[in-house]
Amino acid sequence: MIILQKKHEHKNHYKKIKEQDFLKKNIRNGSILSISQWRETKHIVQEQNINVAVEFSSNACSLSDKDEISKAAMVQINFETFKDGRPFTFAKMLRKKHNFKGELRAVGHILPDQFVFLIRCGFDSVEIKDEDKDVWLELLEIDEGLYYQP
Amino acid sequence: MYKYSDTDKKIIASRVKQFENQVNRRLEGKLTEEEFKPLRLMNGLYLQLHAYMLRIAIPYGELSSKQLRKIAFIADKYDRGYGHFTTRQNIQFNWPKLLDIPEILRELSLVEMHAIQTSGNCIRNISSDHLAGLTLNEIEDPRPWCEIIRKWSTFHPEFSFLPRKFKIAVIGCTEDRAAMLVHDIGLRIIKRNNQVGFEVFVGGGQGRTPIIGKKIKDFLPKKDILNYLEAILTTYNQEGRRDNIYKARIKILVKELGIEKFRSLVEENFSKLSNKELVIDDKSIEEIFGFFRLPPLKSNTNKIPFKNNQEYQNWIKQNVIPHKIQGYSIVQISLKAPKKPPGDATSNQMMALAEISEKFSFSEIRVTHEQNLVLPHVSNKELFNLWNQLKIENLATPNLGLITDTICCPGMDYCALATARSIPISQKISRHFNNYLKQKEIGDLKIKISGCINACGHHHVGNIGILGLDRKGQEFYQITLGGSAKEDAAIGEIVGPSFSENSLIDAIEKILNTYKKHKRNKSEDFLTVFRRIGIKEFKKDLYDNFTKKA
Amino acid sequence: MVKKLQGETFLLSANELVSGKVVFFTPKGWSSSSSEAIKIKVGEIGRYEEISIKEEKKCIIISPKFVELDDDGNIKTLRDKIRTSGITIKI
Repeated sequence: MIILQKKHEHKNHYKKIKEQDFLKKNIRNGSILSISQWRETKHIVQEQNINVAVEFSSNACSLSDKDEISKAAMVQINFETFKDGRPFTFAKMLRKKHNFKGELRAVGHILPDQFVFLIRCGFDSVEIKDEDKDVWLELLEIDEGLYYQP
Repeated sequence: MYKYSDTDKKIIASRVKQFENQVNRRLEGKLTEEEFKPLRLMNGLYLQLHAYMLRIAIPYGELSSKQLRKIAFIADKYDRGYGHFTTRQNIQFNWPKLLDIPEILRELSLVEMHAIQTSGNCIRNISSDHLAGLTLNEIEDPRPWCEIIRKWSTFHPEFSFLPRKFKIAVIGCTEDRAAMLVHDIGLRIIKRNNQVGFEVFVGGGQGRTPIIGKKIKDFLPKKDILNYLEAILTTYNQEGRRDNIYKARIKILVKELGIEKFRSLVEENFSKLSNKELVIDDKSIEEIFGFFRLPPLKSNTNKIPFKNNQEYQNWIKQNVIPHKIQGYSIVQISLKAPKKPPGDATSNQMMALAEISEKFSFSEIRVTHEQNLVLPHVSNKELFNLWNQLKIENLATPNLGLITDTICCPGMDYCALATARSIPISQKISRHFNNYLKQKEIGDLKIKISGCINACGHHHVGNIGILGLDRKGQEFYQITLGGSAKEDAAIGEIVGPSFSENSLIDAIEKILNTYKKHKRNKSEDFLTVFRRIGIKEFKKDLYDNFTKKA
Repeated sequence: MVKKLQGETFLLSANELVSGKVVFFTPKGWSSSSSEAIKIKVGEIGRYEEISIKEEKKCIIISPKFVELDDDGNIKTLRDKIRTSGITIKI
């Protein structure tokens, strides 16, 4: 798998902590936490100045102001199916309502045909298979800049 | 008429390329059918009973002669020489091949047409009043607003994967000719304290849970329309149900939350998330309005020619209405000729009509949600000539608004979802009530026929609604009474047990007899009588002493 | 696909991916002619379902389905009859 940040390819530096290994001491730079894990540990993360990601499933995209999500380094949204459009609105909420400025990443079942939509809603990057890169870039190029919405 | 901007042209061209890419990936197996389906639907491509079906948008129902010619050309080259006009101002082709679709889309793009968002779980083609800009009592022309909304909703990054489809209609006067109140969002332009704005309705719809839209906003200033729509869509995209396809429309969300709660969520999104860049300034409004000016019509005192020809006089009486400019008429063309599938037009008819529109109506044609066409600006003195030419093409049936002017879905003859046929029912009605005087005596009456509960044939809002059902392999038809799609919108009530195909006409006759019996004067129409006497009388006459075939 | 099936004998049908046209599975592969189609007994459904899944994966057909036949070997439901013989109205 690779990370595509618009046209640029990166390696993934984030990793999930297995549920059974979830101990506060195991949290390090690049850990991916669930929202409940984040709620439990966000004060430690902040004290120790660690960069972690918080992952949401596309069918459970919700947050409150108390979650202080703007303090996470990354938010990752796992699409259970590409047909679930909630993350597109959630991305807008993260940016506009929750003031989240970090990296916003889409993973899971997403299609290259959605690349431009993702970016325009506030996503920065996508996780895709290496061999799919060309078609993602091709569709980005076909669609880029062609829309009326601000 | 609206002319594409450079951005429009590029958007349409890139969509053709994108769809070609998607078709190729599908054929190579890189996209599964499950993945391809939502993508093809967003380009108007269905798989029906016999073949693919392509639905092409006719935004707010406006067509130029050039566009109509292109549609005729596509019908001949890529389909079987005819097309079907739908209840949402689209046209459908029933037999295209998947491999040809990119080429068809390319052909369409040459005349500023497309199939974008004519299906799928996104914001659909915006529909409007087919008499927009033509009548005196209009507060403002709704078409520029449709165009503004079209631009905003096309490839909206946030709202392309909604829980379910989303339909918006805009009208500009009290009279509703666009079934606005059975749309997910209905907008009516109104005037308050000398200010023009929108009255906003939400959560209307048909299908298996028919609901009349609820008013969510009394008055919305024009400049805020896109932000307000965005607030509704944001709320729906977040809160709408995705666990059950039958409960996924916004009408169910509004019903479950209640309009008050739904309104408060929308208002919160509206106040917190509004985007300054979506506020429309006067200059851009004016610019868009510039596209929708009337052609150069000169007010005059020409009268409609009288001819000693009963057929022509019937047509004038039934199909022709006055234009807001004196001396001109609006000519409605019925696509409900006897024996023809309602809403169908052949390529020959389309070609002829393109030419006729150039001669008589400034190259303009409108498409109505009742599956008819309109020539919007015809000089009174040309009406007899026009009638003669329409008659040659079998386009002069004088039945607008009468019992044979049915709305009818394709039904089981074409549709993969249908539970019964609907076109043969419409044809039976058309045969049985063929006589103009007989129809005229019955008066204004809307019969609407759907071949399944999804209600594409608008049966819920027919004065008489007919719903085709499958009962143990037999086609049966349920009748509803008292529905209306107009400003007095109402959902029809089921009259009782359903009828076999053979007893249906008899049942309709009985219903009409009840109506005639209770009619107080010549001009009291069916709906008025129904509302006065209620369904009981109809039930009694229909089922007492009736050998039930059901 | 098999869940709702009733009856004894079936034809395997589908739409051709590239054209969308209705096709039937015959000893020689897919064909527009239903009369050449293989008559499938209830017990053989599983095997033919596997074939249809493979054919779908090869991007030859979409929307495979079993068409039920009546005791006389004719297509049973009105929908399937229309699907096989075409629309019932004149254009």
